[in-house]
Amino acid sequence: GDSWGIFTFLCAALCNLPALPALNCSEELGAGQSIQQTYDLTRYLEHQLRTLAGTYLNYLGPPFNEPDFNPPRLARAERVPSATVDLDLWRGLTDNARLAANYRAYSRLLCYLRVLDGQVGTAELRHRLAHFCASLQGLVLSIGGVMSSLGYPLPTGPAGPPAPPGAPTAPNDFLKKMDDFWLLKELQTWLWRSAKDFNRLKKKVPPAVVTLRLEARGF
Amino acid sequence: VSPAADPAVISPQDPTLLIGSSLVATCTVSPDFPLKAEDLYWTLNGRRLPAASYSALGPSTLSVALARLNGSRQQSGDNLVCHSRDGGILAGSCLYVGLPPEKPVNITCWSKNMKDLTCKWAPGTEGETFLHTNYTLKYKRRWYGQDNTCQEYHTAGTYSCHIPKDLALFTPYEIWVEASNRLGVAVSDVVMLDILDVVTTDPPSDVHVSRVGDLEDQLSVRWSSPPALKDFLFQAKYQIQYRVEDSSEWKVVDDVGNQTSCRLAGLRPGTVYFVQVRCNPFSIYGSKKAGIWSDWSNPTAASTPRSGECRQQRPPQNTTLRRELKQFFGWVKKHAYGCSNLGIKLYDQWRVWLQKSHKTRNQV
Repeated sequence: GDSWGIFTFLCAALCNLPALPALNCSEELGAGQSIQQTYDLTRYLEHQLRTLAGTYLNYLGPPFNEPDFNPPRLARAERVPSATVDLDLWRGLTDNARLAANYRAYSRLLCYLRVLDGQVGTAELRHRLAHFCASLQGLVLSIGGVMSSLGYPLPTGPAGPPAPPGAPTAPNDFLKKMDDFWLLKELQTWLWRSAKDFNRLKKKVPPAVVTLRLEARGF
Repeated sequence: VSPAADPAVISPQDPTLLIGSSLVATCTVSPDFPLKAEDLYWTLNGRRLPAASYSALGPSTLSVALARLNGSRQQSGDNLVCHSRDGGILAGSCLYVGLPPEKPVNITCWSKNMKDLTCKWAPGTEGETFLHTNYTLKYKRRWYGQDNTCQEYHTAGTYSCHIPKDLALFTPYEIWVEASNRLGVAVSDVVMLDILDVVTTDPPSDVHVSRVGDLEDQLSVRWSSPPALKDFLFQAKYQIQYRVEDSSEWKVVDDVGNQTSCRLAGLRPGTVYFVQVRCNPFSIYGSKKAGIWSDWSNPTAASTPRSGECRQQRPPQNTTLRRELKQFFGWVKKHAYGCSNLGIKLYDQWRVWLQKSHKTRNQV
């Protein structure tokens, strides 16, 4: 009872100290910073995506750019990893699994976006897409950085069946437009979900985590 | 539950059509689906097509007739969609309606310091083809068969291309642009040129504008020749343009020749001027032809002296103050003992003494 109180107080006090060279905190400190940065990056990408999606859907033309547009998701569209997951399942994810899901999803989404970049018509769209891909690449690297600093291995290879070099291209132009629509939708959903994922991770890995180290020293 | 097969098939799928043409499209529901022709409807770019244009060609096949089509609303194709009664999408087809491209025109090229070649052109007179049009710039040395394709596009605007290397001098090149879209190809006229005829260079660097002593109506402009001049056997001639700060009208000085300095005269006194210089390489390898003018240098500003400004005249107050202070300190030395009681009281005492001595002086 009392000793725990003292212990918690000591931790709180120590957490507020600026620099503790004797304790090897740099790794946890790094992870805390990286998680915040990754969170910020997802918010920034979410903002960028709004403009990109608006422009792209206008390029596809109505009904794709109509606000209530909701086409059927055909079998072929499921190659894009889905962000929606059962709530309890989501809550129960380990940090490693949570991070890995994000890492795999964005790596895959980046591949598909790059293919899009090569096919799209107008110069303005190509420019926006290229910019977005660069930022998305940054997000993938950032997530990788968080995983490394927490000691988790990076997921190897693409998740699920590897996408063939040309990517399973839709058999006709209209179906391709639908695929593009769903790609952008999934990207949006993933960015919303990632913000929640990283918020959750932020709470579990605060900026100056010292507790673990104190325990190790037989405190 | 996502279906294994497509719910319906549209024919024709993704056709390309000339503006003004008509089209009859059919939507055939897959046998796995319990839909009949009367359960279907069509939309084009999100707008429902009138039922009067529909026709049932079979129990599960509905057709629609489209007449005198306009150019596609977006370059990705018009969206013709077959729906089930509840609005669900069964199938779609992208219609590409437009015109074949026109011959690209006005091809102009220039070479920066004889090292590369940039060309720009304009699309044919109509311009809008409603279809995505690809432009390819091609070039070959006259009398040497091989066609080359330019790779770096949009370097100097949308319709431009840059050839960075492997260009031969003293040999004519044939250059042309091919425009192609889904409806056809158009080739521009061939332009023949020698790299040496279209050479331009960087603008002059280190442009300095300064006053000419006290002269109110003149400014002196000095600059350095562009660095590439040293490497190539060409001369340079220059042009200067200048304007008053709050005007947009430039005055051009044309006869600068190949000097790297010039004096501007007949200017307004006390005015700020903006000056720019540009360069034209000519007599390249001895040819008499002029090159292409460079861009103007960044504007440099300077002002002409104002009338009377430069005379060595100090305003009256300054001189009196100095004299007074000199006198005061001289008096302090004589009448005050050290600087400890230096203060306003002492100054007042001095003023009193000054007045007294003034009176005596005037009395004399």
